[in-house]
Amino acid sequence: GPVGDELALLEKALGLQSGNKYGAQGERQVPVLQTNNGPGLTGLITIASYLVKQAKKEQLLGSSAEEKAVVHQWLEYRVTQVDRQSSREDTRTVLKHLNAHLEDKVYFAGNSFTLADILMYYGLHHVMVDLTVQEKEIYLNVSRWFNHIQHYPGVRQHLTNVVFIKNRLYTNAH
Amino acid sequence: MRLRVATGSPAALKVVAAARSAAAPVQLCWAEPGEPPPSPLCPPWAPALQLESGAVLFSPNAICQYFFLRRGQQPTDLTAQWLEWEATELQPAALAALYARLVHGRTGAEAAAALGGALGHIERSLAGRGTAYLAGDAESVADVVVWGTLFPVLRDEAVPVAELLQSWFRSMTRSEACRSAADTVLLPQRLQEFTACLQKLPPPRPLPGTAAGC
Repeated sequence: GPVGDELALLEKALGLQSGNKYGAQGERQVPVLQTNNGPGLTGLITIASYLVKQAKKEQLLGSSAEEKAVVHQWLEYRVTQVDRQSSREDTRTVLKHLNAHLEDKVYFAGNSFTLADILMYYGLHHVMVDLTVQEKEIYLNVSRWFNHIQHYPGVRQHLTNVVFIKNRLYTNAH
Repeated sequence: MRLRVATGSPAALKVVAAARSAAAPVQLCWAEPGEPPPSPLCPPWAPALQLESGAVLFSPNAICQYFFLRRGQQPTDLTAQWLEWEATELQPAALAALYARLVHGRTGAEAAAALGGALGHIERSLAGRGTAYLAGDAESVADVVVWGTLFPVLRDEAVPVAELLQSWFRSMTRSEACRSAADTVLLPQRLQEFTACLQKLPPPRPLPGTAAGC
């Protein structure tokens, strides 16, 4: 299913040997990872954070207490807001929020690339693919960030490259 | 750091309880009605934590997590799982239960039916792990976050609650941090404001199968 695909993309982006099998439960198709010991792990944020620790890339979860909390906040935003948009209106609200947040930032947590960027990129990919040229300009900060992340080594993989008009993205930059 | 809570915000209880539980030195400010939030990303009723760096946290769970992190308590797989479950499953169910109780005037037991699957999930989890707290033998951010969302619904004695959940809930409610947070946030006149705040929210969307736990 789509959540399993996303976690397989993440495993590869993290340089992990794949091999985990993901189940899904409930109407929302919440991912479940069966681990060798214990009852397994449930939820996208939970499993993704576990994989980051497996890959020994803890810095992707944030370095300081503040950065860790900020990463947590955007991971939560991903599963509660981005994944729940049920109308075009919801999608616009999400893009407006993200555009405001990214106005003065390179990455979601400021200057560091984190798991929040990776999962937000995967979660928004289907939205960005469908944006018109005009919409990409309205959400200019989101577009700039998205273009940056899709070129980040190892993240995009087989996903479609979303085309942006580069001089538009960068002439308005601060 | 300044913790701004809007009067009547359903999430105020857990952030105040987390600040007290993790002994975070916060300056608690009640937002005046109509006062604009400190960041355009904050919904007007959501708590906001303004950090010394200038950053603003607007997710109640991230705020709670921050208080425990700055005291050196790192998230574990289990605390992460509880926080994610709380944000995606319990919160919508608890909001629907409160809405039924306070806006539609249903009985506490009727309202709590909306929570049924979520309560069962907590009970099974406590039984399966055999620990006194949600993520182990000591209190963690997971307990405070889940307690804060359940308290307004489960404080009604008429709500039927299974044994382990009841004993966990009572011990949390008796803890100094949670008791003082409940006294601060749910004063009688504040409960009215809580109702008024819920009335202004759109009615919870029916969420198919979300209350059914894991």
